[in-house]
Amino acid sequence: MEVRIVHKTENEVHFLVEGINAAFANALRRTMLTRLPTMVIDEVLILENTSVMYDEVLAHRLGLVPLVTDLTSYNLPDECDCEGKGCSLCQCTLTLEVEAGDEERVVYSRDLNSQNPKIVPAADNIPLVKLAPHQCLIIEAYARLGTGRENAKFQPVATVAYKNVPIVSVDKSKCDMCGACIDVCPKRILWNDGGTLATQNTLDCSLCEICVKSCEVGAITIDYKKDTFLFKVESTGALPPVEIVERAAEILKERIQIALDFANSL
Amino acid sequence: MIIPVRCFTCGKVVADKYEEFNRRVQHGEDPAEVLDDLGLKRYCCRRMLLSHIDIIDSFMAFATVEPTEGS
Ligand code: SF4
Ligand SMILES: [Zn+2]
Ligand SMILES: [Zn+2]
Repeated sequence: MEVRIVHKTENEVHFLVEGINAAFANALRRTMLTRLPTMVIDEVLILENTSVMYDEVLAHRLGLVPLVTDLTSYNLPDECDCEGKGCSLCQCTLTLEVEAGDEERVVYSRDLNSQNPKIVPAADNIPLVKLAPHQCLIIEAYARLGTGRENAKFQPVATVAYKNVPIVSVDKSKCDMCGACIDVCPKRILWNDGGTLATQNTLDCSLCEICVKSCEVGAITIDYKKDTFLFKVESTGALPPVEIVERAAEILKERIQIALDFANSL
Repeated sequence: MIIPVRCFTCGKVVADKYEEFNRRVQHGEDPAEVLDDLGLKRYCCRRMLLSHIDIIDSFMAFATVEPTEGS
């Protein structure tokens, strides 16, 4: 198995994995989605809410705000010594106290005050609610670790997708340079390179085969590498994307080991 | 009522991009280009901003500052 990163930004990583099959690719994808813990607000105590938004809606919105997660200093509630009751090792308290003056005021995620300076909203500008003059909010929220298996709000990734690596091949002896495929390709893979048909950025090809249908002489064939996958992992900001992949791979390894140990004990 | 925090389909945070989107579109920029710029590439996320209508301001016309007691 060989891994190569092709694109990396703060919240996104694209990488190629060679030498795996679709089952393994999907196992890795689903591990990233559902098995990796992140910190999210899970319980909300509303002490005062005179805004036009119902308490439940507000609590729901708070739950969807991704928090920067520090996996080393918190325990999962069921693995904690407090047995899930909630202590400082498995819970982080955030407070929100806002009162609008004589003007309307939008309450943003950055108005949340966290007990732990490391556990803060990953995006500062999420509007939570809008307050009319003199309306006020006093809220205490408790964040804890959880996994996507329990609730999708705990997923560290927005999307994680994979596809086979496309192979776009042009049979130059058949091609008559009609240009039809160049116009129809939605990803601009095909182009006219001084009189011959050339390909570019073939990784972007969506395997839609519109070019094949448009080619009357049958000069284009679209195929894909069966054992090479292009992964696109997009983080919500809770964890860096590379860490998501690394940790997911470790969790998957552990889970496979558990299955193997069980099979061997039969 | 107010812009949803995340995309219903994929879970990407879209709420923090709404104000900028609105401001730039009102200044006459092409919505498609603004969405590309904000990093909303999938159509599930794009429709979250494109189809949203903020009605919290209409609600606020009836706002009170006293907590309502159940009667
Ligand atoms: S399969 Fe689709 S995306 Fe790929 S080269 Fe042909 S038209 Fe373009
Ligand atoms: Zn605990
Ligand atoms: Zn989306």
